Amino acid sequence: MAVQRISMKLTIERAALLRSLGHVQSVVERRTTIPILSNVLLRGAGGELALSATDLDLEIVETAPADVSRAGAVTAPAHTLYDIVRKLPDGCQVEIDSDGAGTLILRSGRSQFRLGSLAADDFPQLSDGNDGPSFRMMAADLRQMIDRTRFAISTEETRYYLNGIYLHAAKSKASGDELPVLRAVATDGHRLARVELPLPEGAANIPGVIVPRKAVAEIRKLIDEAADTIEISLSETKIRFAFDTVVLTSKLIDGSFPDYERVIPSGNDKVMEVGARLFANAVDRVATISTEKSRSIKLSLSPGSLVLSATSPEAGSATEELEVDYSAGNIEIGFNSRYLLDIMQQISGELARFTMADAASPTVVREVSDATALYVLMPMRV
Amino acid sequence: MAVAAPPRKIIHIDMDAFYAAVEQRDHPELQGRPIAVGGSRERGVVATASYEARKFGVHSAMPSVTAKRKCPDLIFVKPRFEVYKAISLQLRAIFARFTPVIEPLSLDEAYLDVTGNLSGSASATAIAEAIRAKIRASTGLTASAGVSYNKFLAKLASDYRKPDGCFVIPPRLGPAFVATLPIRKFHGIGPATAAKMNGLGIDTGLDLRARSLLFLEHHFGKAGRYYYGVARAIDDRPVQADRIRKSIGAENTFLADLFSAADMRAALQPIIEKVWSCCAGSALRGRTVTLKVKYADFHQVTRSRTGTAPVATRDELAQVGLALLDSVLPLAKGVRLLGLTVSSLGDEAPESQRQLDLAL
Repeated sequence: MAVQRISMKLTIERAALLRSLGHVQSVVERRTTIPILSNVLLRGAGGELALSATDLDLEIVETAPADVSRAGAVTAPAHTLYDIVRKLPDGCQVEIDSDGAGTLILRSGRSQFRLGSLAADDFPQLSDGNDGPSFRMMAADLRQMIDRTRFAISTEETRYYLNGIYLHAAKSKASGDELPVLRAVATDGHRLARVELPLPEGAANIPGVIVPRKAVAEIRKLIDEAADTIEISLSETKIRFAFDTVVLTSKLIDGSFPDYERVIPSGNDKVMEVGARLFANAVDRVATISTEKSRSIKLSLSPGSLVLSATSPEAGSATEELEVDYSAGNIEIGFNSRYLLDIMQQISGELARFTMADAASPTVVREVSDATALYVLMPMRV
Repeated sequence: MAVAAPPRKIIHIDMDAFYAAVEQRDHPELQGRPIAVGGSRERGVVATASYEARKFGVHSAMPSVTAKRKCPDLIFVKPRFEVYKAISLQLRAIFARFTPVIEPLSLDEAYLDVTGNLSGSASATAIAEAIRAKIRASTGLTASAGVSYNKFLAKLASDYRKPDGCFVIPPRLGPAFVATLPIRKFHGIGPATAAKMNGLGIDTGLDLRARSLLFLEHHFGKAGRYYYGVARAIDDRPVQADRIRKSIGAENTFLADLFSAADMRAALQPIIEKVWSCCAGSALRGRTVTLKVKYADFHQVTRSRTGTAPVATRDELAQVGLALLDSVLPLAKGVRLLGLTVSSLGDEAPESQRQLDLAL
């Protein structure tokens, strides 16, 4: 059977090609058993080059202006193509030419590369048909939602439904009123992060979806270059992020996210407020001593004072005292120092508020001046 | 061949119905009654059956449902691995008074090399009896002992006068002892291999001895060499003291090849149970779970998964094991063997430094 390869010819600025290739090639897995997944699909038509890459779960399509002299489509090994374009001199023009017979010819100045190509027709595409709800949100808001939750995503494959961020519409009962919000939640079973923002217009009826870790990582990389707003569309099985000239489509995790609200305590009565930076630095110092395996650190609270301590049979012991705002009864509670630092890293304001019950129940951590994010952390036995 | 060394003196100590005996010791109301330590749930299997239960044909690795059918009065007891482990340490301490060369096989079983022993006694039999007496005195439990000049015979011997017995196979009687033995009694020959041997006309040690090394290697691969040796009562494997455990695993060769996903899943359950009881008993936990599948044509594949945290519960082990099994489905050909191994071992996190879980 004759495999049809569609010929194509175009010229594009190196800078534009490099930028777009840089975005799409990061989706391409280094080791894949399906040859065409190592390739990037190049489609030239109507003054534009569209580049696509996919791992079958995630697809990025980006367009860049190009001078298309023969419209068509061709594929080429993504990482090789990216390396070539990266090494071409600044400011040059790149000509991409395909005769439709299995070879892509790339010319720039005096350089010429001939790359093996696979049939463009065989390139898998995550079928579109996105007829679900769609809404727009600020790129900065999405970035904040991701940054403040992704650290808590589980990597445990047996609980695949925790391997992503749960995005859904909810009602926030923060201050008596019920406020419609868009929520992002992630948990690994030891800690949980929840961020909520006023519900964007059009998002009221979105289904709750679990966005997989890899899609989270890719969209996060792209956001920094995004214009102000990002359009998010949802269907039963996919989520699509579109902005500027980029469209990222990802399959969703097919599972149900656990009822996380059950583990957010509301009756904790021991409240400590502490300077976020001071606390993080002290945790980091004291944790130097705690064992590599457990990373545990003990917080001993008494009115006005917090003593952080760690001991390990090999390394010795460490203590540090901090002045804190605390007036409840004495309590000792242990935590994984890494988990504490992960949370403190997301707190940009001056003060952090810890709301505790006892040494075996979940503790709530929030930023005093910012109610959008909430973290729940289970203690360690120390 | 080097100058013949004097024969070794090897003792194999094997506790009698260990888990069940411990439960009967600690719960007088269970004494004299048929009990099975293990899960009574639908998919559970018997880890150990008391001698009263064995009379009904109940044995270890038997599905609990089958056991209950064979012995309707069977009492299921949940295993208490911490207790078994503590007793196992007591046993080690007793062994250590007699010899430093101890190779524990599990919580309730060990090889001792007493060729150059610490007690000053020349008689391995006297040492074996002394060990059995000390075990009874300090734990209230009975052990059987086998004494011989290699591991293979010592293990055979310990089984010979079970329970609460001691049997000696001296060097001059070794080959004769093996010759009359039905091959299914050989350590290292399971039901599936025994069936295959029977098919080849090998029923006893004598039959096995009549076959050439070439023949045995042709039919049984690497194991052929071992069979060739033990048929002649030769087993040079040393007693390995302080062997560091790198993995915990179990496997089963099936009498008839498996073809369906349901049969595979059912067949994996006792293997999961065995591996988990070993993990639970040794307080070792591993992050990597490997499934071994050997097909009817002897082609073999393994599938493994490594988590960030050690597999902490039986259910978790079962979940990963079954997920790995799914990855080899659907079957294109019959399966003759399934095995499951846990590796990347570490000690269980001490109770005092445990991360608590959210009640999700």
